[in-house]
Amino acid sequence: MTQRIARRPLAALLAAPALVGVGTARAQGQPLKIGVPTAMTGTWAALGSQVVRSCRLWQKAMNAEGGLLGRPIEFLFEDTQGTPANCLRKAQEMVERDRVNILLGLMASSEALAVMPKLAEWNALFISSVNGAGSITAESWVPNAFRANTSGPMGARALALWLRNSPQTDFFSLSLDYSWGRSSVETFEGLLRGIGKRSIGNVFAPVGTRDYSSFITRVRQANPQALYIALTGDDGTAFLRQAAQYRLFERMPVVTETVDMLFTRPAGEAAIGLVGGSRYSFAYDIPANNTFVSRFRAEYNDLPDTYDGEQWQACEVLAAAIRKAGSTETPQVVAALRDLELNSIKGPLKIRACDGQAEQQGFVVRVARREGFPYPVPDVISTFTAAEVTPACRASNFT
Amino acid sequence: MDPLTLFTLQTLNALSLSALLFFISLGLTLIFGIMRVVNFAHGALFMLGAYVGVATQTASGSFLLSLIAAPLAAAVLGLAFERCALSRLYAREHSAFLLVTFGLALALTEAIRLIWGADARQAELPDSLSGIVFVMDEPFPIYRLLLIGAGLACALLCWAGLQRTRLGLLLRAASQNPTMTAALGNDVGRVRAAVFAMACALAALGGALAAPLLSASLGLGSNVIIDAFVIVMIGGMGSFLGTAAGSLLVGFAQTFGNYYAPELALGMTYALMIAVLVVRPGGLFGRVE
Repeated sequence: MTQRIARRPLAALLAAPALVGVGTARAQGQPLKIGVPTAMTGTWAALGSQVVRSCRLWQKAMNAEGGLLGRPIEFLFEDTQGTPANCLRKAQEMVERDRVNILLGLMASSEALAVMPKLAEWNALFISSVNGAGSITAESWVPNAFRANTSGPMGARALALWLRNSPQTDFFSLSLDYSWGRSSVETFEGLLRGIGKRSIGNVFAPVGTRDYSSFITRVRQANPQALYIALTGDDGTAFLRQAAQYRLFERMPVVTETVDMLFTRPAGEAAIGLVGGSRYSFAYDIPANNTFVSRFRAEYNDLPDTYDGEQWQACEVLAAAIRKAGSTETPQVVAALRDLELNSIKGPLKIRACDGQAEQQGFVVRVARREGFPYPVPDVISTFTAAEVTPACRASNFT
Repeated sequence: MDPLTLFTLQTLNALSLSALLFFISLGLTLIFGIMRVVNFAHGALFMLGAYVGVATQTASGSFLLSLIAAPLAAAVLGLAFERCALSRLYAREHSAFLLVTFGLALALTEAIRLIWGADARQAELPDSLSGIVFVMDEPFPIYRLLLIGAGLACALLCWAGLQRTRLGLLLRAASQNPTMTAALGNDVGRVRAAVFAMACALAALGGALAAPLLSASLGLGSNVIIDAFVIVMIGGMGSFLGTAAGSLLVGFAQTFGNYYAPELALGMTYALMIAVLVVRPGGLFGRVE
């Protein structure tokens, strides 16, 4: 018995190079499969649909140019409903059944945090396009994970830099009760202290809250000079609409970590005046972005929103890394991603080697009526350099 | 804000939420009481109501029309579904209903996604309803008062309909003993179809009324159906009075829970249900089946 067990690793070792050789030879011209386990139903369904449509557009654009290293791109989409257990299972299926080694488009930070510890074992890599939690590039960082998008702390930092000059000093925070929301508020409160302002309290709403009346009452009871919100998707829309119905905006300015058209657009007029950090907006006047926006509008007859842009950027990062590596194998692509530089739709971008975070500009926008748009849209009011908005290596906050 | 103002505002908030919850759970309990069917598609019908309401209002500009079109559309759909699918299954076990109504929920959600897309849809309230009144010097939306009124009116109308009309008598008879009701020369099949259509209409009306607060989005159905099930369990499956009481209890538990302990608010609803079921296994006003 002991002998048989001992013999297996030896056999596996002998067989491994042969298998790799066969695999590489077969890979030429074969589709490059990229796994996208994302939320296609549930609370984040609308965000998931942005991820999916941007992937499809990128796939179309890439394949029209002959693919990557001569291999056509093929996305495998799976619905995780935004839950970590589902996401882990779907990602594992993709890796084991479909031999996927690249994962993109994970939706909730909690999902990314569930998948990341498995990457090494799977010999797979992950490039975040959505996940905002600071811990992803801090205490939970793993070498095969990268973040092409603006993180929660980075968005909050840009906003705090802008708020430095505002007359309001007392802030109250309202956020969704999960890892991103909590991280966002924690960061914002830390940033407030840094700019000589103070937080007079916070409240966390369960994800999927529909009736925000209690939270609006709580905010009014606290009576701050300004309100900070970290809400996305349907939750954000429901809050903005209801807050407008309670005339909350007439009492205090409302600022947010990330302005998404996804929730400001359904909020209609209620969103006008909302100021916030912006992870991506069609309104960035950058040549690469203008090209992307017109391509996107031609395909979907719609404006790209936050995660359309973020997903596109993550795909561009992946493409640049694969070209630089000259390979799609995990170790080579991971090595190429370190210190990778490119000109993206958000301007110059660099993936720093120490924690996989993409250093990029930070933007602050204000929702306003603009000519030519049927609904209020974001307008860039301030831009900060990457150095100003990126936290130190493996730090989720600014000290 | 002094404690009394806070309490008054929160009570009004809770009542408006209870009213919305009542619309969906009333239909659910009616269907169960008369047909012994647990309708998993009820949340999807609520969502359909929100979408049809928003679409009607966008096309016609009339909010009132949306409150007519949404229940009408759901009633027609419900009637067709009852006649084509459910009516063939009454002789079968309960699991058949679970599967087929769950199937309807999935199909309906996908259909909505195909027709209206994944993004949330919304329409603005008419000016006459988007105003505020001052309750103890604090602004309160007129629309929420309207919701409370609508919930109350619906409860009274349904109660009167069930207790004071011949149709109500027939419904109660069909609920208690369908075989005897049929033996007395009544077409129980038609009663069931009418109840199903009516219950679907109620859910859709709730959806159309909720749209200005929540906007029409794909997660709406699955979200609200859980609350509705909890309410029906608390009140007692098939009990009208129980549903009214359950809606109020859950509405108040969520509203006050969200204020004092938002981390526990979700659990509070379930704790309430468990507590009720431990003391009264059939629910507050129900009987053990």
